[in-house]
Amino acid sequence: MKKIFLLLPVIVTCSFSAQAKLNVVATLPDFGSFAREIGGDKVNVAVLAKPTEDPHFVDARPSFVVSLRNADVLIDGGAELELGWLPPLLQNARNPKIEVGKPGRIQASQGIRLMNVPANVTRAAGDVHALGNPHFTVDPIIAKAIAQHIAQSFSALDPPNAAFYQANYQKFETTINAKLQEWGAALLPFHGQHVVAYHDSWPYFAHRFGLNIDIFLEPKPGIPPSPSHLTEVIAQMKAQHIKAIIVEPFHDRRIAEKVASSTGAKVVEFSQFPGGLPGTDNYVKLIDTLVSRLAAALK
Amino acid sequence: MWEVMFWPILACILLPWLLVYLGLHVVQRGIIFIDIAMAQMAALGICVAVLFRLELESWTTFAIALAFTLVGAAIFSVTGKRTSQIPQEAVIGISYVVAAAAAVLLLSRAAEGDEEIKNMLVGNILLVTPREVWERFALFVAVGIFHFLFRRNFLLVSFDRDGAYQKGLRVRWWDFLFYAVFGLVVTSFVRIAGVLLVFSYLIVPAVCGINLAQRTSNRLLIGWFIGLLGGIAGLLLSYWWDLPSGAAIVCTFGALLILISLYALWQGRRAHSVAVQGPQ
Repeated sequence: MKKIFLLLPVIVTCSFSAQAKLNVVATLPDFGSFAREIGGDKVNVAVLAKPTEDPHFVDARPSFVVSLRNADVLIDGGAELELGWLPPLLQNARNPKIEVGKPGRIQASQGIRLMNVPANVTRAAGDVHALGNPHFTVDPIIAKAIAQHIAQSFSALDPPNAAFYQANYQKFETTINAKLQEWGAALLPFHGQHVVAYHDSWPYFAHRFGLNIDIFLEPKPGIPPSPSHLTEVIAQMKAQHIKAIIVEPFHDRRIAEKVASSTGAKVVEFSQFPGGLPGTDNYVKLIDTLVSRLAAALK
Repeated sequence: MWEVMFWPILACILLPWLLVYLGLHVVQRGIIFIDIAMAQMAALGICVAVLFRLELESWTTFAIALAFTLVGAAIFSVTGKRTSQIPQEAVIGISYVVAAAAAVLLLSRAAEGDEEIKNMLVGNILLVTPREVWERFALFVAVGIFHFLFRRNFLLVSFDRDGAYQKGLRVRWWDFLFYAVFGLVVTSFVRIAGVLLVFSYLIVPAVCGINLAQRTSNRLLIGWFIGLLGGIAGLLLSYWWDLPSGAAIVCTFGALLILISLYALWQGRRAHSVAVQGPQ
């Protein structure tokens, strides 16, 4: 009996310190990066998908369920990018704090106007991303909005540190605003140019920086390139003098290389996620890298 | 740990016994890749449903997938001739690649939906739901009873085909029944566990049993024990080292098989040397 009383303070302290630091789970590394910017050392951030993994397909591990079970906050895209793997994980974790609609659930797409929303939501239009293109975090202005959303949610869940979260958001916003000038200037010479991408992950990036990333090696999202489609792409690239093909780490680079060799274009390795390319451990460094790589390829 | 691993562990206790039993048949018949071919047939059926824009969870979709599985069963029972130049495994391999390629062709005409197809073949044992476990358990019990009732004929057809013909058994018909039921079991298990795991559960315990025992009943008992051991040990390792659960179980099975083969080899050597030297 005595032992139990001795243990009691330990238990109380443990649960108290768990209260003091928010346990944040992010489905994808970009959301994890925002959470770290805003939460600093007041939160624990666990990211489920690796930055080099295809965000459509993520292999679940036992620690995912454990993290979700213990989470105070879950940040997900909310636009069906994680549709293939997140729902069964959540069903298993059964954590009421992070259900949709609860303060502990941050859906990044909330309040953001998604691009390329299919006109009619039938199977023919594609059931996977019925809400619109879910690769929106690579637009820095959208990134600011997500960071603000995260700061507000963290503040509501952890009021004693609200000022800290708000200050971090201000810092992030200032950095992005300054960087936007720099990035815009670097890509300005290529305004209106066409760029080819393996998968349709870049409409937001293209929109922000005045590019047209609207030709894809995949004939349809998720369908491997077919010979006739590639022939068509090669003809288009030659006609429009397209100089760059964007691929991501989980795409088949050889297909891009093949198209590049017959058109004289360069293959540019891109990533939507901080950590997906060397030296990109946070969001700003990621966009820095994307902008400089693309500018170098288009020169 | 229990709240995360309870249902996967229960699934690995309640479900594999039937697969181990069917695995003995499959290994005996020498048609190792039949499970993958069957699963791919069912996946092709789902692709057709996707093409016609049917809901994936609907009964129509299930019926189409089942119909494709039955077509597979028919192909394998017709081609499994008593004497043939072409090994059955060749037909199975061809069915697999053609079904897989046909699925790619169909999906290139369908709007997305490829994610569901991939999910069909890469189910994740870690995330099984209670409902999935109980539904499959009920199905497996029904199939188990069916196999138990007709065990003489099924065993004869698999283990002594010449004897089955001599007895005047309609071997093709029993083959068809075997493959049809087998397809149903494999397809339902693939959905929760993935192709790799189904394959391991069918083959590894059966091979271990064959390595260590002569009588079918002993082989089955050893197979069941190995199936339980590999499944539970694999899940625990996957928890402790945070590994993808299905792959962890498969590799545990691989390690168990190596250990058992070494043991069987050593036993064989000893028996051999005793036989050569004669009793002292």
